Amino acid sequence: MREKRIVNVFQILFLLLVMFVFLFPSYIALLTSWKTRIEVSRSALSFPETFAIQNYIEAIRKSQFLTALKNSCAITFPSVLLIVICSSMGGYSIARHSAKHKIFKYLDRLYVSSLMIPFQILMIPVYRMYKSLRLLNTLQGMVLMLTGVSIAYATFLYVGFVKSIPRELEEAALIDGCGPYKAFFVIVFPMLKPITTTVAALHVMWLWNDFNISLVLMQKESVRPLTVKQYYFFGQYASDYGMAFAAAILTMLPVVIFFMAAQKYLVEGISGGAVKG
Amino acid sequence: MKRKSDWSAYVFILPGFCFFCFAIMIPLVMGINIAFTDWNGITDTYTYIGLKNFTDALQDQRIRQPILNTLYFALLGTAGNTMVSLGLALLVNQKLGKIASAAKMIFFIPVCFSAVLTAFLWKFIYRDVFGQLFHIKNLLGNAALVILAIVIMGLWNSCGINMLVYLSGLKNIPGDLYEAARIDGAGAFKSFRYITLPLLMPSFTVCVTISMTSWLKEFATTMCSTGGGPYGSSRTVSLYIYENLYDYSKAGYGQAVSMLFVIFLVVLGNLVSAFFRAREVEA
Repeated sequence: MREKRIVNVFQILFLLLVMFVFLFPSYIALLTSWKTRIEVSRSALSFPETFAIQNYIEAIRKSQFLTALKNSCAITFPSVLLIVICSSMGGYSIARHSAKHKIFKYLDRLYVSSLMIPFQILMIPVYRMYKSLRLLNTLQGMVLMLTGVSIAYATFLYVGFVKSIPRELEEAALIDGCGPYKAFFVIVFPMLKPITTTVAALHVMWLWNDFNISLVLMQKESVRPLTVKQYYFFGQYASDYGMAFAAAILTMLPVVIFFMAAQKYLVEGISGGAVKG
Repeated sequence: MKRKSDWSAYVFILPGFCFFCFAIMIPLVMGINIAFTDWNGITDTYTYIGLKNFTDALQDQRIRQPILNTLYFALLGTAGNTMVSLGLALLVNQKLGKIASAAKMIFFIPVCFSAVLTAFLWKFIYRDVFGQLFHIKNLLGNAALVILAIVIMGLWNSCGINMLVYLSGLKNIPGDLYEAARIDGAGAFKSFRYITLPLLMPSFTVCVTISMTSWLKEFATTMCSTGGGPYGSSRTVSLYIYENLYDYSKAGYGQAVSMLFVIFLVVLGNLVSAFFRAREVEA
Protein backbone atom coordinates (compact mmCIF):
# COMPACT_ATOMS: atom_id res chain seq x y z
CA MET A 1 0.00 0.00 0.00
CA ARG A 2 2.74 2.41 0.94
CA GLU A 3 4.63 1.58 -2.22
CA LYS A 4 1.59 2.60 -4.22
CA ARG A 5 1.39 5.92 -2.42
CA ILE A 6 5.02 6.66 -3.24
CA VAL A 7 4.38 5.90 -6.89
CA ASN A 8 1.40 8.24 -6.76
CA VAL A 9 3.40 11.09 -5.29
CA PHE A 10 6.07 10.58 -7.90
CA GLN A 11 3.45 10.63 -10.66
CA ILE A 12 1.90 13.83 -9.33
CA LEU A 13 5.28 15.53 -9.11
CA PHE A 14 6.08 14.51 -12.64
CA LEU A 15 2.68 15.70 -13.85
CA LEU A 16 3.23 19.06 -12.15
CA LEU A 17 6.58 19.37 -13.89
CA VAL A 18 5.09 18.67 -17.31
CA MET A 19 2.26 21.12 -16.59
CA PHE A 20 4.83 23.75 -15.72
CA VAL A 21 6.69 23.14 -19.00
CA PHE A 22 3.48 23.50 -21.00
CA LEU A 23 2.37 26.59 -19.14
CA PHE A 24 5.73 28.32 -19.25
CA PRO A 25 5.44 29.99 -22.71
CA SER A 26 1.99 31.38 -21.91
CA TYR A 27 3.30 32.61 -18.59
CA ILE A 28 6.14 34.41 -20.38
CA ALA A 29 3.68 36.04 -22.78
CA LEU A 30 1.48 37.22 -19.93
CA LEU A 31 4.47 38.45 -17.93
CA THR A 32 6.02 40.35 -20.81
CA SER A 33 2.75 42.02 -21.72
CA TRP A 34 2.83 43.88 -18.39
CA LYS A 35 6.41 45.11 -18.67
CA THR A 36 7.76 48.35 -20.07
CA ARG A 37 10.25 48.34 -22.91
CA ILE A 38 13.19 48.98 -20.58
CA GLU A 39 12.19 46.19 -18.22
CA VAL A 40 12.00 43.70 -21.08
CA SER A 41 15.44 44.61 -22.37
CA ARG A 42 16.92 44.36 -18.90
CA SER A 43 15.68 40.84 -18.20
CA ALA A 44 13.29 38.48 -19.96
CA LEU A 45 12.31 36.70 -16.75
CA SER A 46 11.95 39.43 -14.15
CA PHE A 47 8.61 40.28 -12.67
CA PRO A 48 7.12 43.60 -13.84
CA GLU A 49 7.80 46.40 -11.36
CA THR A 50 4.72 48.38 -12.19
CA PHE A 51 1.95 46.79 -14.20
CA ALA A 52 2.21 48.64 -17.48
CA ILE A 53 -1.45 48.91 -18.39
CA GLN A 54 -0.51 51.38 -21.15
CA ASN A 55 0.77 48.39 -23.20
CA TYR A 56 -2.80 47.20 -23.51
CA ILE A 57 -4.24 50.65 -24.17
CA GLU A 58 -1.63 51.28 -26.86
CA ALA A 59 -2.18 47.85 -28.37
CA ILE A 60 -5.94 48.35 -28.64
CA ARG A 61 -5.47 51.79 -30.21
CA LYS A 62 -2.59 51.03 -32.58
CA SER A 63 -3.86 47.69 -33.85
CA GLN A 64 -7.44 48.92 -34.30
CA PHE A 65 -8.40 45.99 -32.14
CA LEU A 66 -12.15 46.52 -32.19
CA THR A 67 -12.42 46.62 -35.99
CA ALA A 68 -10.35 43.46 -36.30
CA LEU A 69 -12.39 41.76 -33.57
CA LYS A 70 -15.59 42.63 -35.41
CA ASN A 71 -14.13 41.22 -38.66
CA SER A 72 -13.03 38.01 -36.98
CA CYS A 73 -16.53 37.51 -35.58
CA ALA A 74 -18.20 38.32 -38.90
CA ILE A 75 -16.00 35.73 -40.62
CA THR A 76 -15.95 32.97 -38.03
CA PHE A 77 -19.55 32.56 -36.88
CA PRO A 78 -21.43 32.49 -40.22
CA SER A 79 -18.82 30.05 -41.57
CA VAL A 80 -19.24 27.72 -38.62
CA LEU A 81 -23.03 27.80 -39.03
CA LEU A 82 -22.73 26.88 -42.71
CA ILE A 83 -20.18 24.18 -41.98
CA VAL A 84 -22.43 22.54 -39.39
CA ILE A 85 -25.52 22.56 -41.63
CA CYS A 86 -23.79 21.38 -44.82
CA SER A 87 -21.52 18.75 -43.33
CA SER A 88 -24.12 17.23 -40.99
CA MET A 89 -26.39 16.61 -43.98
CA GLY A 90 -23.53 15.39 -46.14
CA GLY A 91 -22.02 13.21 -43.43
CA TYR A 92 -25.40 11.64 -42.71
CA SER A 93 -25.95 10.86 -46.37
CA ILE A 94 -22.48 9.37 -46.85
CA ALA A 95 -22.68 7.27 -43.70
CA ARG A 96 -26.07 5.80 -44.61
CA HIS A 97 -25.49 5.15 -48.32
CA SER A 98 -21.78 4.46 -48.81
CA ALA A 99 -22.27 0.72 -48.33
CA LYS A 100 -24.77 0.42 -51.18
CA HIS A 101 -23.92 3.22 -53.59
CA LYS A 102 -20.39 3.48 -54.90
CA ILE A 103 -20.70 7.20 -55.58
CA PHE A 104 -21.02 8.03 -51.86
CA LYS A 105 -18.02 5.86 -51.08
CA TYR A 106 -15.94 7.67 -53.70
CA LEU A 107 -17.06 11.02 -52.35
CA ASP A 108 -15.96 9.94 -48.88
CA ARG A 109 -12.56 8.96 -50.32
CA LEU A 110 -12.34 12.26 -52.17
CA TYR A 111 -13.04 14.24 -48.99
CA VAL A 112 -10.46 12.28 -46.99
CA SER A 113 -7.80 12.60 -49.70
CA SER A 114 -8.42 16.33 -49.97
CA LEU A 115 -7.41 16.71 -46.32
CA MET A 116 -3.82 16.29 -47.46
CA ILE A 117 -3.85 19.21 -49.88
CA PRO A 118 -1.85 22.12 -48.50
CA PHE A 119 -3.48 25.49 -48.98
CA GLN A 120 -0.34 26.99 -50.54
CA ILE A 121 -1.13 25.00 -53.68
CA LEU A 122 -4.53 26.64 -54.00
CA MET A 123 -3.31 30.13 -53.10
CA ILE A 124 -2.60 31.46 -56.57
CA PRO A 125 -5.67 29.98 -58.32
CA VAL A 126 -7.92 31.14 -55.49
CA TYR A 127 -6.47 34.63 -55.72
CA ARG A 128 -7.08 34.73 -59.47
CA MET A 129 -10.59 33.39 -59.06
CA TYR A 130 -11.48 35.89 -56.34
CA LYS A 131 -10.08 38.78 -58.33
CA SER A 132 -12.24 38.00 -61.33
CA LEU A 133 -15.33 37.34 -59.19
CA ARG A 134 -14.72 40.60 -57.27
CA LEU A 135 -14.74 38.74 -53.99
CA LEU A 136 -11.34 39.95 -52.77
CA ASN A 137 -11.50 41.94 -49.53
CA THR A 138 -15.09 40.98 -48.83
CA LEU A 139 -16.23 39.27 -45.67
CA GLN A 140 -18.73 37.18 -47.68
CA GLY A 141 -15.96 35.88 -49.94
CA MET A 142 -13.95 34.92 -46.91
CA VAL A 143 -16.93 33.04 -45.42
CA LEU A 144 -17.37 31.10 -48.68
CA MET A 145 -13.71 30.08 -48.78
CA LEU A 146 -13.43 29.10 -45.12
CA THR A 147 -16.60 27.03 -45.35
CA GLY A 148 -15.35 25.32 -48.49
CA VAL A 149 -11.99 24.32 -47.10
CA SER A 150 -13.55 23.04 -43.86
CA ILE A 151 -16.32 20.89 -45.35
CA ALA A 152 -14.16 17.82 -45.94
CA TYR A 153 -12.91 17.39 -42.38
CA ALA A 154 -16.23 18.29 -40.75
CA THR A 155 -18.04 15.77 -42.98
CA PHE A 156 -15.43 13.14 -42.10
CA LEU A 157 -16.19 13.68 -38.41
CA TYR A 158 -19.95 13.45 -38.99
CA VAL A 159 -19.61 10.24 -41.06
CA GLY A 160 -17.82 8.55 -38.16
CA PHE A 161 -20.45 9.60 -35.68
CA VAL A 162 -23.53 8.77 -37.78
CA LYS A 163 -22.19 5.25 -38.33
CA SER A 164 -22.26 4.72 -34.57
CA ILE A 165 -25.94 5.65 -34.10
CA PRO A 166 -28.66 3.08 -34.87
CA ARG A 167 -30.89 3.40 -37.94
CA GLU A 168 -34.06 2.13 -36.25
CA LEU A 169 -35.47 5.49 -35.19
CA GLU A 170 -35.28 7.14 -38.60
CA GLU A 171 -36.46 3.99 -40.35
CA ALA A 172 -39.47 3.85 -38.04
CA ALA A 173 -40.19 7.48 -38.86
CA LEU A 174 -39.87 6.85 -42.59
CA ILE A 175 -42.28 3.91 -42.38
CA ASP A 176 -44.74 6.11 -40.47
CA GLY A 177 -44.81 8.38 -43.50
CA CYS A 178 -42.36 11.02 -42.39
CA GLY A 179 -40.43 12.53 -45.33
CA PRO A 180 -36.66 12.08 -45.48
CA TYR A 181 -35.97 15.79 -44.89
CA LYS A 182 -38.23 15.99 -41.88
CA ALA A 183 -36.76 12.73 -40.57
CA PHE A 184 -33.28 14.21 -40.74
CA PHE A 185 -33.99 17.57 -39.14
CA VAL A 186 -36.47 16.39 -36.52
CA ILE A 187 -35.06 13.01 -35.55
CA VAL A 188 -31.44 12.58 -36.70
CA PHE A 189 -30.04 16.08 -36.25
CA PRO A 190 -30.88 16.27 -32.52
CA MET A 191 -29.13 12.94 -32.02
CA LEU A 192 -25.99 14.41 -33.60
CA LYS A 193 -25.72 17.03 -30.88
CA PRO A 194 -22.45 15.76 -29.34
CA ILE A 195 -20.55 15.78 -32.62
CA THR A 196 -22.19 19.03 -33.69
CA THR A 197 -20.88 20.79 -30.60
CA THR A 198 -17.42 19.38 -31.27
CA VAL A 199 -17.40 20.37 -34.92
CA ALA A 200 -18.62 23.83 -34.01
CA ALA A 201 -16.13 24.27 -31.18
CA LEU A 202 -13.15 23.01 -33.20
CA HIS A 203 -13.97 25.21 -36.17
CA VAL A 204 -14.58 28.32 -34.10
CA MET A 205 -11.06 27.81 -32.83
CA TRP A 206 -9.47 27.00 -36.18
CA LEU A 207 -11.21 29.66 -38.25
CA TRP A 208 -10.54 32.26 -35.59
CA ASN A 209 -6.84 31.38 -35.88
CA ASP A 210 -6.75 31.05 -39.65
CA PHE A 211 -3.77 32.83 -41.14
CA ASN A 212 -2.99 31.57 -44.66
CA ILE A 213 -6.34 32.26 -46.26
CA SER A 214 -6.95 35.68 -44.75
CA LEU A 215 -3.40 36.69 -45.62
CA VAL A 216 -4.11 36.09 -49.31
CA LEU A 217 -7.72 37.25 -49.55
CA MET A 218 -7.95 40.12 -47.08
CA GLN A 219 -5.56 42.75 -48.31
CA LYS A 220 -7.40 45.86 -47.16
CA GLU A 221 -6.81 47.22 -43.70
CA SER A 222 -10.53 47.61 -42.98
CA VAL A 223 -11.46 43.93 -43.45
CA ARG A 224 -8.48 42.22 -41.83
CA PRO A 225 -9.24 39.78 -39.03
CA LEU A 226 -7.23 39.58 -35.81
CA THR A 227 -4.55 37.08 -36.91
CA VAL A 228 -3.44 38.98 -40.00
CA LYS A 229 -3.60 42.27 -38.13
CA GLN A 230 -1.37 40.70 -35.55
CA TYR A 231 1.14 39.46 -38.16
CA TYR A 232 1.67 42.96 -39.52
CA PHE A 233 1.54 44.43 -36.06
CA PHE A 234 4.36 42.13 -34.89
CA GLY A 235 6.39 43.11 -37.93
CA GLN A 236 5.84 46.80 -37.32
CA TYR A 237 6.46 46.86 -33.56
CA ALA A 238 8.93 43.96 -33.31
CA SER A 239 11.09 45.81 -30.82
CA ASP A 240 8.27 46.74 -28.48
CA TYR A 241 7.73 43.31 -26.94
CA GLY A 242 5.51 44.55 -24.13
CA MET A 243 2.92 46.00 -26.46
CA ALA A 244 3.17 43.15 -28.98
CA PHE A 245 2.47 40.59 -26.29
CA ALA A 246 -0.37 42.71 -24.94
CA ALA A 247 -1.92 42.57 -28.40
CA ALA A 248 -1.31 38.81 -28.51
CA ILE A 249 -3.00 38.27 -25.15
CA LEU A 250 -5.99 40.33 -26.25
CA THR A 251 -6.35 38.19 -29.38
CA MET A 252 -6.06 34.94 -27.47
CA LEU A 253 -8.42 35.89 -24.69
CA PRO A 254 -11.68 35.25 -26.59
CA VAL A 255 -10.45 31.83 -27.80
CA VAL A 256 -9.24 30.72 -24.40
CA ILE A 257 -12.48 31.85 -22.73
CA PHE A 258 -14.44 30.09 -25.43
CA PHE A 259 -12.37 26.96 -24.93
CA MET A 260 -12.96 26.97 -21.18
CA ALA A 261 -16.69 27.13 -21.83
CA ALA A 262 -16.74 24.50 -24.60
CA GLN A 263 -14.11 22.24 -23.05
CA LYS A 264 -16.48 19.45 -22.11
CA TYR A 265 -17.94 19.17 -25.63
CA LEU A 266 -14.56 19.29 -27.31
CA VAL A 267 -13.28 16.43 -25.21
CA GLU A 268 -16.42 14.32 -25.61
CA GLY A 269 -16.74 14.87 -29.31
CA ILE A 270 -13.14 14.23 -30.21
CA SER A 271 -13.47 10.94 -28.36
CA GLY A 272 -16.75 10.04 -30.04
CA GLY A 273 -16.23 11.20 -33.59
CA ALA A 274 -12.63 11.32 -34.59
CA VAL A 275 -11.58 7.88 -33.42
CA LYS A 276 -14.49 5.85 -34.70
CA GLY A 277 -14.19 7.54 -38.09
CA MET B 1 -43.75 0.84 -49.84
CA LYS B 2 -40.55 2.26 -51.23
CA ARG B 3 -40.80 5.53 -53.08
CA LYS B 4 -39.96 5.32 -56.75
CA SER B 5 -37.23 7.92 -56.74
CA ASP B 6 -35.74 9.29 -53.58
CA TRP B 7 -33.33 12.08 -54.32
CA SER B 8 -32.91 13.13 -50.70
CA ALA B 9 -29.53 11.42 -50.31
CA TYR B 10 -28.16 13.54 -53.16
CA VAL B 11 -29.86 16.70 -51.94
CA PHE B 12 -28.20 16.28 -48.55
CA ILE B 13 -24.79 15.95 -50.19
CA LEU B 14 -25.20 18.87 -52.55
CA PRO B 15 -24.67 22.06 -50.49
CA GLY B 16 -21.47 20.78 -48.87
CA PHE B 17 -20.21 19.44 -52.16
CA CYS B 18 -20.78 22.80 -53.87
CA PHE B 19 -18.73 24.61 -51.24
CA PHE B 20 -16.06 21.92 -51.52
CA CYS B 21 -15.87 22.29 -55.31
CA PHE B 22 -15.78 26.07 -55.09
CA ALA B 23 -12.93 26.17 -52.58
CA ILE B 24 -10.90 23.09 -53.49
CA MET B 25 -11.77 21.33 -56.73
CA ILE B 26 -12.00 24.36 -59.04
CA PRO B 27 -8.77 25.97 -57.76
CA LEU B 28 -7.07 22.58 -57.98
CA VAL B 29 -8.05 22.18 -61.64
CA MET B 30 -7.01 25.77 -62.35
CA GLY B 31 -3.72 24.93 -60.64
CA ILE B 32 -3.17 21.85 -62.80
CA ASN B 33 -3.65 24.07 -65.83
CA ILE B 34 -1.07 26.53 -64.53
CA ALA B 35 1.43 23.70 -63.94
CA PHE B 36 1.73 23.20 -67.71
CA THR B 37 2.51 26.86 -68.41
CA ASP B 38 5.38 29.27 -67.90
CA TRP B 39 3.15 31.72 -66.05
CA ASN B 40 5.12 34.08 -63.80
CA GLY B 41 2.29 34.83 -61.39
CA ILE B 42 1.82 38.47 -62.38
CA THR B 43 1.01 39.00 -66.05
CA ASP B 44 -2.26 38.02 -67.68
CA THR B 45 -0.67 36.00 -70.48
CA TYR B 46 1.22 32.74 -70.46
CA THR B 47 2.15 30.00 -72.89
CA TYR B 48 1.81 26.26 -72.57
CA ILE B 49 5.16 24.49 -72.37
CA GLY B 50 4.00 20.90 -71.95
CA LEU B 51 5.76 18.72 -69.44
CA LYS B 52 8.85 20.91 -69.15
CA ASN B 53 8.04 22.04 -65.58
CA PHE B 54 7.71 18.44 -64.46
CA THR B 55 10.96 17.25 -66.04
CA ASP B 56 12.68 20.33 -64.57
CA ALA B 57 11.34 19.46 -61.14
CA LEU B 58 12.75 15.95 -61.31
CA GLN B 59 16.21 17.29 -62.20
CA ASP B 60 16.18 20.31 -59.89
CA GLN B 61 19.19 20.27 -57.56
CA ARG B 62 17.79 22.94 -55.26
CA ILE B 63 14.74 20.88 -54.38
CA ARG B 64 16.82 18.15 -52.73
CA GLN B 65 17.44 20.04 -49.50
CA PRO B 66 13.74 20.98 -49.00
CA ILE B 67 12.71 17.36 -49.60
CA LEU B 68 15.19 16.07 -47.03
CA ASN B 69 14.13 18.79 -44.58
CA THR B 70 10.47 17.92 -45.06
CA LEU B 71 11.09 14.23 -44.43
CA TYR B 72 13.12 15.10 -41.35
CA PHE B 73 10.31 17.37 -40.12
CA ALA B 74 7.77 14.61 -40.68
CA LEU B 75 9.86 11.94 -38.97
CA LEU B 76 10.75 14.05 -35.96
CA GLY B 77 7.32 15.65 -35.71
CA THR B 78 5.33 12.43 -36.00
CA ALA B 79 7.55 10.48 -33.61
CA GLY B 80 7.56 13.39 -31.16
CA ASN B 81 3.86 13.92 -31.45
CA THR B 82 3.05 10.25 -30.89
CA MET B 83 5.32 9.93 -27.87
CA VAL B 84 4.39 13.21 -26.22
CA SER B 85 0.63 12.94 -26.84
CA LEU B 86 0.47 9.31 -25.74
CA GLY B 87 2.66 10.10 -22.75
CA LEU B 88 0.43 12.99 -21.73
CA ALA B 89 -2.67 10.84 -22.20
CA LEU B 90 -1.24 8.02 -20.06
CA LEU B 91 -0.26 10.54 -17.41
CA VAL B 92 -3.66 12.20 -17.32
CA ASN B 93 -5.40 8.82 -17.37
CA GLN B 94 -3.86 7.80 -14.02
CA LYS B 95 -6.36 8.15 -11.22
CA LEU B 96 -4.89 11.31 -9.75
CA GLY B 97 -8.13 13.18 -9.09
CA LYS B 98 -8.69 16.88 -9.70
CA ILE B 99 -5.14 17.60 -10.77
CA ALA B 100 -5.54 15.36 -13.81
CA SER B 101 -8.46 17.36 -15.18
CA ALA B 102 -6.58 20.59 -14.55
CA ALA B 103 -3.63 19.11 -16.43
CA LYS B 104 -5.84 18.11 -19.35
CA MET B 105 -6.95 21.71 -19.66
CA ILE B 106 -3.44 23.10 -19.41
CA PHE B 107 -2.13 20.74 -22.10
CA PHE B 108 -4.94 21.83 -24.38
CA ILE B 109 -4.61 25.62 -23.98
CA PRO B 110 -1.66 25.94 -26.44
CA VAL B 111 -3.89 24.42 -29.15
CA CYS B 112 -5.88 27.68 -29.03
CA PHE B 113 -2.79 29.66 -30.09
CA SER B 114 -2.40 30.57 -33.75
CA ALA B 115 0.79 29.71 -35.64
CA VAL B 116 1.70 33.40 -35.89
CA LEU B 117 1.51 33.81 -32.16
CA THR B 118 3.28 30.51 -31.42
CA ALA B 119 6.18 31.49 -33.64
CA PHE B 120 6.42 34.99 -32.20
CA LEU B 121 6.29 33.71 -28.63
CA TRP B 122 8.87 30.94 -29.12
CA LYS B 123 11.22 33.23 -31.01
CA PHE B 124 11.27 35.41 -27.94
CA ILE B 125 11.74 32.36 -25.68
CA TYR B 126 14.58 30.88 -27.73
CA ARG B 127 16.40 34.17 -28.03
CA ASP B 128 15.86 36.03 -24.78
CA VAL B 129 14.58 33.56 -22.21
CA PHE B 130 16.79 30.56 -23.00
CA GLY B 131 19.71 32.86 -23.58
CA GLN B 132 19.27 34.25 -20.10
CA LEU B 133 18.44 30.94 -18.40
CA PHE B 134 20.91 28.53 -19.96
CA HIS B 135 23.30 30.90 -21.72
CA ILE B 136 22.82 29.12 -25.05
CA LYS B 137 22.69 30.74 -28.46
CA ASN B 138 19.38 30.98 -30.30
CA LEU B 139 18.50 27.49 -31.55
CA LEU B 140 16.68 29.00 -34.51
CA GLY B 141 20.00 30.34 -35.81
CA ASN B 142 21.70 26.94 -35.62
CA ALA B 143 21.51 25.12 -38.95
CA ALA B 144 21.79 21.68 -37.34
CA LEU B 145 19.16 22.20 -34.65
CA VAL B 146 16.68 24.58 -36.25
CA ILE B 147 14.29 21.83 -37.34
CA LEU B 148 14.27 20.31 -33.87
CA ALA B 149 13.57 23.76 -32.43
CA ILE B 150 10.61 24.31 -34.76
CA VAL B 151 9.28 20.82 -34.05
CA ILE B 152 9.32 21.62 -30.32
CA MET B 153 7.19 24.71 -31.00
CA GLY B 154 4.83 22.66 -33.11
CA LEU B 155 4.51 19.95 -30.47
CA TRP B 156 3.65 22.50 -27.83
CA ASN B 157 1.04 23.89 -30.20
CA SER B 158 -0.57 20.61 -31.31
CA CYS B 159 -0.11 17.80 -28.79
CA GLY B 160 -3.17 18.73 -26.73
CA ILE B 161 -5.57 17.62 -29.40
CA ASN B 162 -3.93 14.24 -30.04
CA MET B 163 -3.73 13.71 -26.31
CA LEU B 164 -7.52 13.89 -26.23
CA VAL B 165 -7.79 11.30 -29.00
CA TYR B 166 -5.46 8.89 -27.18
CA LEU B 167 -7.22 9.57 -23.92
CA SER B 168 -10.57 8.59 -25.35
CA GLY B 169 -8.99 5.46 -26.80
CA LEU B 170 -7.61 4.59 -23.36
CA LYS B 171 -11.01 5.16 -21.75
CA ASN B 172 -12.58 2.71 -24.21
CA ILE B 173 -10.33 -0.18 -23.12
CA PRO B 174 -12.34 -2.34 -20.69
CA GLY B 175 -10.82 -2.37 -17.21
CA ASP B 176 -11.35 -6.10 -16.66
CA LEU B 177 -8.73 -6.87 -19.32
CA TYR B 178 -6.06 -5.30 -17.11
CA GLU B 179 -7.53 -7.12 -14.11
CA ALA B 180 -7.27 -10.47 -15.92
CA ALA B 181 -3.72 -9.71 -17.03
CA ARG B 182 -2.74 -8.82 -13.46
CA ILE B 183 -4.16 -12.09 -12.14
CA ASP B 184 -2.24 -13.95 -14.83
CA GLY B 185 0.89 -12.30 -13.53
CA ALA B 186 1.58 -9.74 -16.23
CA GLY B 187 3.54 -6.68 -15.15
CA ALA B 188 2.82 -3.07 -16.06
CA PHE B 189 5.03 -3.21 -19.13
CA LYS B 190 3.52 -6.46 -20.45
CA SER B 191 -0.05 -5.28 -20.05
CA PHE B 192 0.88 -2.03 -21.81
CA ARG B 193 2.53 -3.93 -24.66
CA TYR B 194 -0.16 -6.61 -25.11
CA ILE B 195 -3.37 -4.80 -24.10
CA THR B 196 -2.98 -1.04 -24.36
CA LEU B 197 -1.00 -0.80 -27.59
CA PRO B 198 -3.11 -3.17 -29.76
CA LEU B 199 -6.41 -1.74 -28.51
CA LEU B 200 -5.21 1.80 -29.13
CA MET B 201 -4.65 1.13 -32.84
CA PRO B 202 -7.70 3.17 -34.00
CA SER B 203 -6.30 6.17 -32.15
CA PHE B 204 -2.89 5.60 -33.75
CA THR B 205 -4.49 5.47 -37.19
CA VAL B 206 -6.08 8.87 -36.70
CA CYS B 207 -3.22 10.60 -34.89
CA VAL B 208 -0.27 9.28 -36.90
CA THR B 209 -1.94 9.92 -40.25
CA ILE B 210 -3.08 13.41 -39.36
CA SER B 211 0.09 14.52 -37.62
CA MET B 212 2.31 13.06 -40.33
CA THR B 213 0.49 14.76 -43.18
CA SER B 214 0.34 18.04 -41.31
CA TRP B 215 4.10 17.90 -40.67
CA LEU B 216 4.73 17.11 -44.33
CA LYS B 217 2.77 20.25 -45.19
CA GLU B 218 4.62 22.30 -42.56
CA PHE B 219 4.41 25.95 -43.53
CA ALA B 220 2.99 28.58 -41.18
CA THR B 221 5.14 28.02 -38.10
CA THR B 222 8.34 27.79 -40.13
CA MET B 223 7.37 30.76 -42.28
CA CYS B 224 6.69 32.94 -39.24
CA SER B 225 9.70 31.83 -37.21
CA THR B 226 12.66 31.42 -39.58
CA GLY B 227 11.33 31.92 -43.10
CA GLY B 228 13.30 28.77 -44.06
CA GLY B 229 16.65 29.91 -42.71
CA PRO B 230 19.41 29.86 -41.73
CA TYR B 231 20.72 29.22 -45.25
CA GLY B 232 17.70 27.15 -46.21
CA SER B 233 18.28 24.61 -43.45
CA SER B 234 14.63 24.68 -42.38
CA ARG B 235 13.13 25.27 -45.83
CA THR B 236 10.33 22.79 -46.47
CA VAL B 237 8.76 21.77 -49.76
CA SER B 238 5.73 23.95 -48.96
CA LEU B 239 7.98 26.94 -48.43
CA TYR B 240 9.89 26.18 -51.62
CA ILE B 241 6.63 26.15 -53.56
CA TYR B 242 5.58 29.42 -51.96
CA GLU B 243 8.94 31.01 -52.82
CA ASN B 244 8.63 29.95 -56.44
CA LEU B 245 5.22 31.56 -56.61
CA TYR B 246 6.00 34.81 -54.85
CA ASP B 247 9.75 35.41 -54.87
CA TYR B 248 11.13 33.84 -58.05
CA SER B 249 8.07 34.58 -60.24
CA LYS B 250 7.96 30.97 -61.40
CA ALA B 251 4.32 30.25 -60.63
CA GLY B 252 4.07 27.58 -63.32
CA TYR B 253 7.10 25.71 -62.04
CA GLY B 254 5.99 26.06 -58.40
CA GLN B 255 2.57 24.74 -59.31
CA ALA B 256 4.14 21.71 -61.04
CA VAL B 257 6.22 20.94 -57.94
CA SER B 258 3.11 21.25 -55.81
CA MET B 259 1.22 18.79 -58.04
CA LEU B 260 3.94 16.16 -57.62
CA PHE B 261 3.97 16.92 -53.91
CA VAL B 262 0.20 16.42 -53.56
CA ILE B 263 0.36 13.06 -55.31
CA PHE B 264 3.14 12.01 -52.93
CA LEU B 265 1.13 13.17 -49.90
CA VAL B 266 -2.07 11.41 -50.91
CA VAL B 267 -0.30 8.12 -51.66
CA LEU B 268 1.75 8.20 -48.46
CA GLY B 269 -1.24 9.22 -46.32
CA ASN B 270 -3.35 6.36 -47.66
CA LEU B 271 -0.52 3.84 -47.19
CA VAL B 272 0.09 4.82 -43.60
CA SER B 273 -3.58 4.84 -42.73
CA ALA B 274 -4.04 1.41 -44.38
CA PHE B 275 -1.02 0.09 -42.44
CA PHE B 276 -2.60 1.02 -39.09
CA ARG B 277 -6.16 0.09 -40.11
CA ALA B 278 -4.96 -3.47 -40.83
CA ARG B 279 -3.66 -3.73 -37.29
CA GLU B 280 -6.84 -2.61 -35.55
CA VAL B 281 -8.44 -5.25 -33.34
CA GLU B 282 -11.84 -5.46 -31.67
CA ALA B 283 -11.86 -5.23 -27.89
